[in-house]
Amino acid sequence: MANHLIWWGFAIYTVLSLFVAYLSRSGKEMTMSGYFLGNRKMNGFVSALSYSATTYSAFMMVGLSGLTYKGGVGALGFEMIYFAGVSLVAFFGPRFWLAGKKYGYVTPSEMLGDRYDNKLVAVVISVSSCIFLIPYSAVQLAGVGYLVEGMTNGGISFTTGVILAMILAIVFSFIAGIRSVMWTDSLQALLMIIASTTVVILVIQGLGGFGEFFGNLEKNHSESLTVPGNGFWSITTFLSMTIPWVFFSLSNPQVSQRLFMPSSPKSLRGMLMGFLVFGFIYTLVSVLWGFSALSIFPGLDNPDIATPSLLASKFVPPVLGIIVMVAIIAAAISTIDSILLTLGSLFARDVYGNLKQNVDEKRQLAIGKIIMPIIAILAFVFAEMQLNLIGVLSVASSAGLTVAIPAIIGCFFWKKGTPAGVISSVIVGGALVLILEFTKYKPLGLGSGIWGLIISGILFITISLITKPPTQKAEEFMGYIKREMKTQFTK
Amino acid sequence: MGKREAFWLIICGLLILLAYIIPYTILTDVAKWYGSFLLWVLLGFVIILFNIIFTKDWRS
Repeated sequence: MANHLIWWGFAIYTVLSLFVAYLSRSGKEMTMSGYFLGNRKMNGFVSALSYSATTYSAFMMVGLSGLTYKGGVGALGFEMIYFAGVSLVAFFGPRFWLAGKKYGYVTPSEMLGDRYDNKLVAVVISVSSCIFLIPYSAVQLAGVGYLVEGMTNGGISFTTGVILAMILAIVFSFIAGIRSVMWTDSLQALLMIIASTTVVILVIQGLGGFGEFFGNLEKNHSESLTVPGNGFWSITTFLSMTIPWVFFSLSNPQVSQRLFMPSSPKSLRGMLMGFLVFGFIYTLVSVLWGFSALSIFPGLDNPDIATPSLLASKFVPPVLGIIVMVAIIAAAISTIDSILLTLGSLFARDVYGNLKQNVDEKRQLAIGKIIMPIIAILAFVFAEMQLNLIGVLSVASSAGLTVAIPAIIGCFFWKKGTPAGVISSVIVGGALVLILEFTKYKPLGLGSGIWGLIISGILFITISLITKPPTQKAEEFMGYIKREMKTQFTK
Repeated sequence: MGKREAFWLIICGLLILLAYIIPYTILTDVAKWYGSFLLWVLLGFVIILFNIIFTKDWRS
Protein backbone atom coordinates (compact mmCIF):
# COMPACT_ATOMS: atom_id res chain seq x y z
CA MET A 1 0.00 0.00 0.00
CA ALA A 2 1.36 3.40 -0.98
CA ASN A 3 2.85 5.31 1.93
CA HIS A 4 1.51 8.67 0.88
CA LEU A 5 -2.07 7.34 0.98
CA ILE A 6 -1.51 6.15 4.53
CA TRP A 7 -0.13 9.53 5.54
CA TRP A 8 -3.18 11.20 4.01
CA GLY A 9 -5.54 8.87 5.85
CA PHE A 10 -3.75 9.55 9.09
CA ALA A 11 -3.79 13.31 8.54
CA ILE A 12 -7.55 13.38 7.83
CA TYR A 13 -8.24 11.27 10.89
CA THR A 14 -6.10 13.56 13.05
CA VAL A 15 -7.82 16.74 11.85
CA LEU A 16 -11.31 15.24 12.29
CA SER A 17 -10.53 13.98 15.78
CA LEU A 18 -8.99 17.25 16.87
CA PHE A 19 -12.09 19.05 15.62
CA VAL A 20 -14.39 16.72 17.59
CA ALA A 21 -12.16 17.05 20.66
CA TYR A 22 -12.28 20.83 20.36
CA LEU A 23 -16.10 20.81 20.10
CA SER A 24 -16.39 18.62 23.17
CA ARG A 25 -14.98 21.30 25.47
CA SER A 26 -17.43 22.85 27.91
CA GLY A 27 -15.57 25.61 29.68
CA LYS A 28 -12.44 25.10 31.72
CA GLU A 29 -12.72 22.14 34.04
CA MET A 30 -11.23 22.95 37.43
CA THR A 31 -12.43 19.94 39.42
CA MET A 32 -11.32 16.34 39.41
CA SER A 33 -14.82 15.01 38.71
CA GLY A 34 -15.28 17.59 35.94
CA TYR A 35 -12.04 16.70 34.18
CA PHE A 36 -11.95 12.96 34.79
CA LEU A 37 -15.67 12.06 34.98
CA GLY A 38 -17.40 14.70 32.82
CA ASN A 39 -19.22 15.87 35.98
CA ARG A 40 -21.08 12.50 36.04
CA LYS A 41 -23.36 13.78 33.31
CA MET A 42 -22.51 11.59 30.34
CA ASN A 43 -25.39 10.27 28.23
CA GLY A 44 -25.87 6.61 27.36
CA PHE A 45 -25.02 6.76 23.65
CA VAL A 46 -21.65 8.50 23.95
CA SER A 47 -20.85 6.42 27.03
CA ALA A 48 -21.58 3.22 25.11
CA LEU A 49 -19.43 4.11 22.13
CA SER A 50 -16.61 5.33 24.32
CA TYR A 51 -16.80 2.29 26.59
CA SER A 52 -16.55 0.15 23.46
CA ALA A 53 -13.63 2.10 22.02
CA THR A 54 -11.79 1.93 25.33
CA THR A 55 -12.35 -1.79 25.80
CA TYR A 56 -11.80 -2.85 22.21
CA SER A 57 -8.39 -1.82 21.20
CA ALA A 58 -5.80 -2.76 18.63
CA PHE A 59 -5.91 -6.08 20.43
CA MET A 60 -9.14 -7.08 18.69
CA MET A 61 -8.23 -6.34 15.09
CA VAL A 62 -4.62 -7.37 15.35
CA GLY A 63 -4.37 -9.69 18.36
CA LEU A 64 -7.72 -11.51 18.28
CA SER A 65 -7.56 -11.99 14.52
CA GLY A 66 -4.01 -13.25 15.06
CA LEU A 67 -5.18 -15.68 17.73
CA THR A 68 -7.93 -16.94 15.39
CA TYR A 69 -5.36 -17.33 12.64
CA LYS A 70 -3.03 -19.22 14.95
CA GLY A 71 -5.41 -21.38 16.96
CA GLY A 72 -8.85 -21.23 15.34
CA VAL A 73 -12.31 -20.85 16.83
CA GLY A 74 -11.07 -20.94 20.44
CA ALA A 75 -10.35 -17.24 19.95
CA LEU A 76 -14.08 -16.67 19.52
CA GLY A 77 -14.79 -18.60 22.71
CA PHE A 78 -12.16 -16.60 24.56
CA GLU A 79 -13.70 -13.30 23.51
CA MET A 80 -17.32 -14.40 23.98
CA ILE A 81 -16.57 -15.55 27.51
CA TYR A 82 -15.09 -12.12 28.21
CA PHE A 83 -18.25 -10.69 26.63
CA ALA A 84 -20.45 -12.76 28.93
CA GLY A 85 -18.37 -11.46 31.84
CA VAL A 86 -19.46 -7.92 30.99
CA SER A 87 -22.80 -8.96 32.51
CA LEU A 88 -21.01 -8.21 35.79
CA VAL A 89 -21.72 -4.57 34.93
CA ALA A 90 -25.41 -5.35 35.32
CA PHE A 91 -24.72 -6.42 38.91
CA PHE A 92 -21.93 -4.08 39.95
CA GLY A 93 -22.60 -1.09 37.69
CA PRO A 94 -25.53 0.28 39.70
CA ARG A 95 -23.56 -0.17 42.92
CA PHE A 96 -20.50 1.69 41.61
CA TRP A 97 -22.78 4.40 40.25
CA LEU A 98 -24.72 4.86 43.49
CA ALA A 99 -21.58 4.92 45.62
CA GLY A 100 -19.85 7.38 43.28
CA LYS A 101 -22.81 9.71 43.31
CA LYS A 102 -23.21 9.75 47.08
CA TYR A 103 -19.59 9.87 48.17
CA GLY A 104 -18.12 11.77 45.22
CA TYR A 105 -15.58 9.11 44.24
CA VAL A 106 -13.43 9.91 41.21
CA THR A 107 -11.59 6.59 41.00
CA PRO A 108 -12.48 2.98 41.84
CA SER A 109 -9.50 2.77 44.19
CA GLU A 110 -10.69 5.85 46.05
CA MET A 111 -13.97 4.00 46.59
CA LEU A 112 -12.17 0.95 47.96
CA GLY A 113 -9.99 3.12 50.22
CA ASP A 114 -13.05 4.84 51.67
CA ARG A 115 -15.15 1.71 52.00
CA TYR A 116 -12.39 -0.17 53.81
CA ASP A 117 -11.69 3.01 55.76
CA ASN A 118 -7.97 2.99 55.02
CA LYS A 119 -6.00 5.29 52.73
CA LEU A 120 -3.27 2.72 52.16
CA VAL A 121 -5.84 0.50 50.43
CA ALA A 122 -6.34 3.20 47.78
CA VAL A 123 -2.58 3.73 47.42
CA VAL A 124 -1.78 0.03 47.01
CA ILE A 125 -4.54 -0.62 44.47
CA SER A 126 -3.59 2.46 42.46
CA VAL A 127 0.08 1.54 42.32
CA SER A 128 -0.79 -2.01 41.32
CA SER A 129 -3.04 -0.65 38.53
CA CYS A 130 -0.16 1.45 37.22
CA ILE A 131 2.23 -1.51 37.27
CA PHE A 132 -0.09 -3.59 35.13
CA LEU A 133 -1.74 -1.00 32.92
CA ILE A 134 1.43 0.57 31.59
CA PRO A 135 2.44 -2.69 29.83
CA TYR A 136 -1.14 -2.94 28.59
CA SER A 137 -0.86 0.51 27.00
CA ALA A 138 2.46 -0.57 25.55
CA VAL A 139 0.69 -3.50 23.92
CA GLN A 140 -1.67 -1.06 22.23
CA LEU A 141 1.17 1.11 21.01
CA ALA A 142 3.01 -1.92 19.70
CA GLY A 143 -0.21 -2.87 17.86
CA VAL A 144 -0.03 0.40 15.95
CA GLY A 145 3.64 -0.15 15.20
CA TYR A 146 3.08 -3.64 13.78
CA LEU A 147 0.17 -2.46 11.73
CA VAL A 148 1.79 0.46 9.96
CA GLU A 149 5.02 -1.43 9.43
CA GLY A 150 3.15 -4.48 8.08
CA MET A 151 0.91 -2.51 5.76
CA THR A 152 3.67 -0.42 4.27
CA ASN A 153 6.16 -3.31 4.05
CA GLY A 154 8.45 -1.36 6.35
CA GLY A 155 7.97 1.96 4.51
CA ILE A 156 6.73 3.52 7.74
CA SER A 157 8.68 2.12 10.65
CA PHE A 158 7.36 0.50 13.81
CA THR A 159 8.80 3.35 15.87
CA THR A 160 7.15 6.08 13.78
CA GLY A 161 3.75 4.43 14.25
CA VAL A 162 4.31 4.09 17.98
CA ILE A 163 5.41 7.71 18.43
CA LEU A 164 2.44 9.08 16.45
CA ALA A 165 -0.04 7.04 18.47
CA MET A 166 1.54 8.17 21.71
CA ILE A 167 1.43 11.86 20.80
CA LEU A 168 -2.22 11.71 19.72
CA ALA A 169 -3.22 9.86 22.89
CA ILE A 170 -1.62 12.60 24.98
CA VAL A 171 -3.27 15.38 22.95
CA PHE A 172 -6.77 13.83 23.10
CA SER A 173 -6.59 13.42 26.85
CA PHE A 174 -5.33 16.96 27.33
CA ILE A 175 -7.84 18.97 25.29
CA ALA A 176 -10.83 18.47 27.58
CA GLY A 177 -10.04 15.47 29.77
CA ILE A 178 -12.64 12.73 29.66
CA ARG A 179 -14.99 14.79 27.49
CA SER A 180 -12.57 14.99 24.58
CA VAL A 181 -11.61 11.36 25.10
CA MET A 182 -15.23 10.21 25.06
CA TRP A 183 -16.17 12.19 21.98
CA THR A 184 -13.09 11.18 19.98
CA ASP A 185 -13.68 7.61 21.20
CA SER A 186 -17.21 7.77 19.81
CA LEU A 187 -16.00 8.93 16.44
CA GLN A 188 -13.40 6.17 16.44
CA ALA A 189 -15.89 3.49 17.48
CA LEU A 190 -18.28 4.35 14.67
CA LEU A 191 -15.48 4.45 12.13
CA MET A 192 -14.15 1.17 13.40
CA ILE A 193 -17.41 -0.80 13.34
CA ILE A 194 -18.55 0.43 9.93
CA ALA A 195 -15.21 0.00 8.17
CA SER A 196 -14.32 -3.37 9.67
CA THR A 197 -17.75 -4.85 9.01
CA THR A 198 -17.56 -3.71 5.39
CA VAL A 199 -14.20 -5.42 4.99
CA VAL A 200 -15.48 -8.72 6.33
CA ILE A 201 -18.51 -8.64 4.06
CA LEU A 202 -16.32 -7.89 1.05
CA VAL A 203 -13.78 -10.57 1.87
CA ILE A 204 -16.37 -13.27 2.55
CA GLN A 205 -18.13 -12.37 -0.69
CA GLY A 206 -14.79 -12.43 -2.50
CA LEU A 207 -14.17 -15.92 -1.14
CA GLY A 208 -17.50 -17.15 -2.55
CA GLY A 209 -20.00 -16.29 0.22
CA PHE A 210 -20.66 -17.65 3.70
CA GLY A 211 -21.21 -21.26 2.61
CA GLU A 212 -18.03 -21.51 0.59
CA PHE A 213 -16.09 -19.56 3.22
CA PHE A 214 -16.84 -22.14 5.90
CA GLY A 215 -16.73 -24.97 3.37
CA ASN A 216 -13.12 -24.05 2.62
CA LEU A 217 -12.28 -23.91 6.32
CA GLU A 218 -13.95 -27.28 6.92
CA LYS A 219 -12.03 -28.82 4.02
CA ASN A 220 -8.58 -27.28 4.37
CA HIS A 221 -8.37 -26.11 8.00
CA SER A 222 -10.87 -28.31 9.82
CA GLU A 223 -8.85 -28.11 13.04
CA SER A 224 -9.54 -24.36 13.11
CA LEU A 225 -13.24 -24.99 13.79
CA THR A 226 -12.79 -27.01 16.96
CA VAL A 227 -11.05 -26.72 20.30
CA PRO A 228 -8.38 -27.67 21.22
CA GLY A 229 -8.01 -27.82 17.41
CA ASN A 230 -4.35 -27.69 16.44
CA GLY A 231 -3.46 -27.73 20.12
CA PHE A 232 -3.06 -24.00 20.68
CA TRP A 233 -6.30 -23.75 22.66
CA SER A 234 -5.63 -26.52 25.16
CA ILE A 235 -8.13 -26.37 28.00
CA THR A 236 -5.49 -24.99 30.38
CA THR A 237 -4.53 -22.21 27.96
CA PHE A 238 -8.20 -21.45 27.40
CA LEU A 239 -8.87 -21.23 31.13
CA SER A 240 -5.72 -19.18 31.76
CA MET A 241 -6.63 -16.64 29.12
CA THR A 242 -10.36 -16.38 29.73
CA ILE A 243 -10.64 -16.22 33.51
CA PRO A 244 -8.80 -12.89 33.97
CA TRP A 245 -10.90 -11.48 31.11
CA VAL A 246 -14.22 -12.53 32.63
CA PHE A 247 -13.51 -9.97 35.34
CA PHE A 248 -12.09 -7.31 33.00
CA SER A 249 -15.09 -4.96 33.36
CA LEU A 250 -14.49 -4.74 37.12
CA SER A 251 -10.76 -5.21 37.46
CA ASN A 252 -9.64 -2.67 34.86
CA PRO A 253 -10.02 0.83 36.28
CA GLN A 254 -10.17 2.52 32.86
CA VAL A 255 -13.51 0.79 32.31
CA SER A 256 -14.80 0.46 35.89
CA GLN A 257 -14.25 4.21 36.35
CA ARG A 258 -16.80 4.64 33.53
CA LEU A 259 -19.45 3.29 35.89
CA PHE A 260 -19.28 6.58 37.80
CA MET A 261 -19.96 8.72 34.72
CA PRO A 262 -23.50 8.12 33.35
CA SER A 263 -26.07 10.75 34.28
CA SER A 264 -28.83 8.32 35.33
CA PRO A 265 -29.67 4.60 35.65
CA LYS A 266 -31.14 4.89 32.17
CA SER A 267 -27.82 6.20 30.79
CA LEU A 268 -25.99 3.42 32.62
CA ARG A 269 -28.27 0.92 30.92
CA GLY A 270 -27.70 2.64 27.57
CA MET A 271 -23.96 2.32 28.09
CA LEU A 272 -24.17 -1.39 28.91
CA MET A 273 -26.58 -2.35 26.13
CA GLY A 274 -24.88 -0.18 23.52
CA PHE A 275 -21.58 -1.77 24.39
CA LEU A 276 -22.98 -5.30 24.19
CA VAL A 277 -24.41 -4.79 20.72
CA PHE A 278 -21.19 -3.15 19.54
CA GLY A 279 -19.03 -5.82 21.16
CA PHE A 280 -21.03 -8.69 19.69
CA ILE A 281 -20.63 -7.40 16.14
CA TYR A 282 -17.03 -6.41 16.61
CA THR A 283 -16.05 -9.78 18.09
CA LEU A 284 -17.60 -11.65 15.19
CA VAL A 285 -15.94 -9.34 12.70
CA SER A 286 -12.48 -9.77 14.27
CA VAL A 287 -12.75 -13.56 14.35
CA LEU A 288 -14.09 -13.83 10.78
CA TRP A 289 -11.22 -11.58 9.81
CA GLY A 290 -8.73 -14.06 11.31
CA PHE A 291 -10.47 -16.96 9.51
CA SER A 292 -10.34 -15.01 6.24
CA ALA A 293 -6.60 -14.50 6.60
CA LEU A 294 -6.20 -18.21 7.30
CA SER A 295 -8.04 -19.06 4.08
CA ILE A 296 -6.13 -16.60 1.94
CA PHE A 297 -2.63 -16.68 3.48
CA PRO A 298 -2.26 -19.99 5.30
CA GLY A 299 1.52 -19.87 5.79
CA LEU A 300 2.32 -16.64 7.66
CA ASP A 301 5.14 -16.91 10.20
CA ASN A 302 3.82 -14.23 12.56
CA PRO A 303 0.06 -14.35 13.26
CA ASP A 304 0.11 -10.67 14.19
CA ILE A 305 0.54 -9.77 10.54
CA ALA A 306 -2.62 -11.67 9.52
CA THR A 307 -4.63 -8.44 9.63
CA PRO A 308 -2.17 -6.22 7.73
CA SER A 309 -1.86 -8.93 5.08
CA LEU A 310 -5.61 -9.13 4.71
CA LEU A 311 -5.95 -5.37 4.38
CA ALA A 312 -3.29 -5.29 1.71
CA SER A 313 -4.97 -8.14 -0.24
CA LYS A 314 -6.88 -7.87 -3.52
CA PHE A 315 -10.22 -8.32 -1.73
CA VAL A 316 -10.03 -4.95 0.00
CA PRO A 317 -10.13 -1.74 -2.07
CA PRO A 318 -7.09 0.41 -1.14
CA VAL A 319 -9.17 3.30 0.20
CA LEU A 320 -11.10 0.98 2.49
CA GLY A 321 -7.83 -0.62 3.54
CA ILE A 322 -6.54 2.80 4.58
CA ILE A 323 -9.76 3.63 6.44
CA VAL A 324 -9.57 0.38 8.38
CA MET A 325 -5.92 0.86 9.14
CA VAL A 326 -6.62 4.31 10.47
CA ALA A 327 -9.59 2.88 12.42
CA ILE A 328 -7.32 0.32 14.07
CA ILE A 329 -4.76 2.96 14.97
CA ALA A 330 -7.65 5.00 16.36
CA ALA A 331 -8.75 1.98 18.37
CA ALA A 332 -5.36 1.74 19.99
CA ILE A 333 -5.26 5.45 20.71
CA SER A 334 -8.76 5.44 22.20
CA THR A 335 -7.69 2.75 24.63
CA ILE A 336 -4.43 4.45 25.54
CA ASP A 337 -5.89 7.91 26.14
CA SER A 338 -8.51 6.47 28.50
CA ILE A 339 -5.83 4.58 30.37
CA LEU A 340 -3.73 7.74 30.60
CA LEU A 341 -6.64 9.66 32.09
CA THR A 342 -7.48 6.89 34.53
CA LEU A 343 -3.90 6.45 35.68
CA GLY A 344 -3.50 10.24 35.93
CA SER A 345 -6.54 10.41 38.19
CA LEU A 346 -5.45 7.39 40.23
CA PHE A 347 -2.04 8.82 40.85
CA ALA A 348 -3.24 12.35 41.64
CA ARG A 349 -6.19 11.36 43.79
CA ASP A 350 -5.11 8.17 45.49
CA VAL A 351 -1.33 8.19 45.61
CA TYR A 352 -0.38 11.88 45.78
CA GLY A 353 -3.62 12.99 47.46
CA ASN A 354 -3.28 10.39 50.20
CA LEU A 355 0.44 10.48 50.84
CA LYS A 356 0.67 14.27 50.99
CA GLN A 357 -1.31 16.34 53.47
CA ASN A 358 -3.93 18.95 52.50
CA VAL A 359 -3.85 18.62 48.72
CA ASP A 360 -6.75 20.53 47.16
CA GLU A 361 -8.64 19.60 43.96
CA LYS A 362 -6.78 22.10 41.83
CA ARG A 363 -3.41 20.73 42.87
CA GLN A 364 -4.58 17.14 42.30
CA LEU A 365 -5.73 18.06 38.81
CA ALA A 366 -2.38 19.69 38.02
CA ILE A 367 -0.54 16.58 39.22
CA GLY A 368 -2.83 14.36 37.14
CA LYS A 369 -2.01 16.36 34.03
CA ILE A 370 1.73 16.13 34.67
CA ILE A 371 1.66 12.40 35.24
CA MET A 372 -0.21 11.54 32.02
CA PRO A 373 2.62 12.24 29.54
CA ILE A 374 5.11 10.56 31.87
CA ILE A 375 3.03 7.37 31.79
CA ALA A 376 2.74 7.64 28.00
CA ILE A 377 6.52 7.75 27.67
CA LEU A 378 6.93 4.73 29.92
CA ALA A 379 4.45 2.84 27.71
CA PHE A 380 6.47 3.91 24.69
CA VAL A 381 9.63 2.39 26.17
CA PHE A 382 7.84 -0.92 26.74
CA ALA A 383 6.43 -0.85 23.21
CA GLU A 384 9.88 -0.35 21.74
CA MET A 385 10.99 -3.55 23.43
CA GLN A 386 8.74 -5.35 20.87
CA LEU A 387 7.66 -8.28 23.00
CA ASN A 388 6.01 -11.34 21.44
CA LEU A 389 2.45 -12.07 20.49
CA ILE A 390 0.24 -9.12 21.33
CA GLY A 391 -2.72 -11.07 22.66
CA VAL A 392 -0.71 -13.06 25.16
CA LEU A 393 0.92 -10.00 26.70
CA SER A 394 -2.38 -8.21 26.88
CA VAL A 395 -3.80 -11.10 28.87
CA ALA A 396 -0.80 -11.01 31.22
CA SER A 397 -1.64 -7.39 32.08
CA SER A 398 -5.23 -8.20 32.87
CA ALA A 399 -4.06 -11.16 34.98
CA GLY A 400 -2.31 -8.71 37.27
CA LEU A 401 -5.39 -6.56 37.72
CA THR A 402 -7.57 -9.56 38.53
CA VAL A 403 -6.06 -9.79 42.02
CA ALA A 404 -8.22 -6.83 43.14
CA ILE A 405 -11.43 -8.74 42.37
CA PRO A 406 -11.91 -10.27 45.87
CA ALA A 407 -11.56 -6.76 47.38
CA ILE A 408 -14.05 -5.29 44.88
CA ILE A 409 -16.63 -8.03 45.53
CA GLY A 410 -16.05 -7.69 49.28
CA CYS A 411 -16.56 -3.93 49.07
CA PHE A 412 -20.24 -4.44 48.22
CA PHE A 413 -21.06 -7.84 49.65
CA TRP A 414 -18.90 -8.72 52.66
CA LYS A 415 -18.96 -6.64 55.80
CA LYS A 416 -16.09 -8.56 57.36
CA GLY A 417 -13.53 -7.55 54.70
CA THR A 418 -10.64 -5.62 56.23
CA PRO A 419 -7.91 -3.26 54.95
CA ALA A 420 -5.24 -5.81 55.90
CA GLY A 421 -7.13 -8.40 53.85
CA VAL A 422 -7.24 -6.13 50.81
CA ILE A 423 -3.63 -4.96 51.02
CA SER A 424 -2.17 -8.44 51.53
CA SER A 425 -4.33 -9.94 48.77
CA VAL A 426 -3.38 -7.29 46.22
CA ILE A 427 0.34 -7.18 47.07
CA VAL A 428 0.95 -10.92 47.37
CA GLY A 429 -1.41 -11.79 44.50
CA GLY A 430 0.16 -9.14 42.27
CA ALA A 431 3.70 -10.22 43.16
CA LEU A 432 2.81 -13.83 42.39
CA VAL A 433 1.50 -12.84 38.94
CA LEU A 434 4.71 -10.93 38.23
CA ILE A 435 6.92 -13.81 39.36
CA LEU A 436 4.98 -16.35 37.28
CA GLU A 437 5.06 -14.08 34.23
CA PHE A 438 8.78 -13.42 34.48
CA THR A 439 9.75 -17.04 35.11
CA LYS A 440 7.15 -18.32 32.58
CA TYR A 441 6.27 -20.96 35.16
CA LYS A 442 2.75 -22.39 34.94
CA PRO A 443 1.92 -24.66 37.88
CA LEU A 444 -0.45 -27.43 36.66
CA GLY A 445 -0.35 -25.73 33.25
CA LEU A 446 -2.49 -22.84 34.50
CA GLY A 447 -1.53 -19.22 33.91
CA SER A 448 -0.65 -16.46 36.34
CA GLY A 449 -4.12 -14.88 36.40
CA ILE A 450 -5.78 -17.97 37.82
CA TRP A 451 -3.15 -18.42 40.54
CA GLY A 452 -3.21 -14.72 41.33
CA LEU A 453 -6.98 -14.81 41.73
CA ILE A 454 -6.95 -17.96 43.89
CA ILE A 455 -4.19 -16.69 46.20
CA SER A 456 -5.66 -13.20 46.51
CA GLY A 457 -9.09 -14.68 47.27
CA ILE A 458 -7.69 -16.95 49.99
CA LEU A 459 -5.63 -14.14 51.52
CA PHE A 460 -8.48 -11.63 51.44
CA ILE A 461 -10.78 -14.00 53.31
CA THR A 462 -8.34 -15.43 55.85
CA ILE A 463 -6.56 -12.18 56.73
CA SER A 464 -9.91 -10.41 56.98
CA LEU A 465 -11.21 -13.04 59.38
CA ILE A 466 -8.33 -12.49 61.80
CA THR A 467 -8.24 -8.67 61.62
CA LYS A 468 -10.76 -6.02 62.61
CA PRO A 469 -13.19 -4.83 59.92
CA PRO A 470 -14.35 -1.19 59.63
CA THR A 471 -17.83 -2.26 60.76
CA GLN A 472 -19.40 1.17 61.03
CA LYS A 473 -18.32 2.28 57.56
CA ALA A 474 -19.22 -1.10 56.04
CA GLU A 475 -22.74 -0.97 57.48
CA GLU A 476 -23.31 2.59 56.45
CA PHE A 477 -21.97 2.02 52.89
CA MET A 478 -23.69 -1.30 52.26
CA GLY A 479 -26.92 -0.15 53.91
CA TYR A 480 -27.07 2.86 51.62
CA ILE A 481 -26.45 0.77 48.50
CA LYS A 482 -29.08 -1.77 49.52
CA ARG A 483 -31.74 0.88 50.08
CA GLU A 484 -31.01 2.75 46.88
CA MET A 485 -30.85 -0.41 44.76
CA LYS A 486 -34.46 -1.03 45.77
CA THR A 487 -35.67 2.46 44.94
CA GLN A 488 -33.61 3.32 41.85
CA PHE A 489 -32.91 0.03 40.10
CA THR A 490 -36.05 -2.03 40.65
CA LYS A 491 -39.66 -1.39 39.81
CA MET B 1 -28.20 -8.95 46.78
CA GLY B 2 -31.88 -9.64 46.26
CA LYS B 3 -33.38 -13.00 45.23
CA ARG B 4 -33.97 -11.79 41.68
CA GLU B 5 -30.33 -10.76 41.28
CA ALA B 6 -29.07 -14.01 42.79
CA PHE B 7 -31.26 -15.99 40.39
CA TRP B 8 -29.92 -14.15 37.34
CA LEU B 9 -26.35 -14.40 38.60
CA ILE B 10 -26.68 -18.18 38.81
CA ILE B 11 -28.19 -18.36 35.31
CA CYS B 12 -25.37 -16.25 33.95
CA GLY B 13 -22.75 -18.37 35.74
CA LEU B 14 -24.29 -21.56 34.32
CA LEU B 15 -24.26 -20.15 30.79
CA ILE B 16 -20.57 -19.30 31.10
CA LEU B 17 -19.83 -22.74 32.52
CA LEU B 18 -21.57 -24.42 29.57
CA ALA B 19 -19.58 -22.22 27.20
CA TYR B 20 -16.44 -23.83 28.67
CA ILE B 21 -17.68 -27.42 28.87
CA ILE B 22 -19.62 -28.08 25.63
CA PRO B 23 -16.94 -27.04 23.08
CA TYR B 24 -14.31 -29.18 24.82
CA THR B 25 -16.57 -32.25 25.08
CA ILE B 26 -19.58 -32.68 22.78
CA LEU B 27 -18.32 -30.37 20.02
CA THR B 28 -14.62 -31.20 20.10
CA ASP B 29 -14.89 -33.26 16.89
CA VAL B 30 -17.54 -31.17 15.12
CA ALA B 31 -15.40 -29.28 12.60
CA LYS B 32 -18.35 -27.39 11.11
CA TRP B 33 -19.68 -23.86 11.34
CA TYR B 34 -22.54 -25.18 13.43
CA GLY B 35 -20.09 -26.57 16.01
CA SER B 36 -18.27 -24.45 18.57
CA PHE B 37 -18.50 -21.39 16.31
CA LEU B 38 -22.30 -21.34 16.42
CA LEU B 39 -22.39 -22.22 20.13
CA TRP B 40 -20.25 -19.25 21.10
CA VAL B 41 -22.16 -16.91 18.79
CA LEU B 42 -25.38 -18.07 20.46
CA LEU B 43 -23.81 -17.48 23.88
CA GLY B 44 -23.17 -13.85 22.93
CA PHE B 45 -26.71 -13.47 21.66
CA VAL B 46 -28.26 -14.97 24.80
CA ILE B 47 -26.07 -12.72 26.97
CA ILE B 48 -27.47 -9.65 25.20
CA LEU B 49 -31.05 -10.85 25.79
CA PHE B 50 -30.20 -11.63 29.39
CA ASN B 51 -28.95 -8.10 29.99
CA ILE B 52 -31.94 -6.51 28.27
CA ILE B 53 -34.29 -8.35 30.62
CA PHE B 54 -32.15 -7.89 33.72
CA THR B 55 -31.81 -4.11 33.35
CA LYS B 56 -35.34 -3.35 32.14
CA ASP B 57 -36.25 -1.34 35.26
CA TRP B 58 -33.32 1.09 35.10
CA ARG B 59 -35.03 4.36 34.37
CA SER B 60 -33.98 8.00 34.47
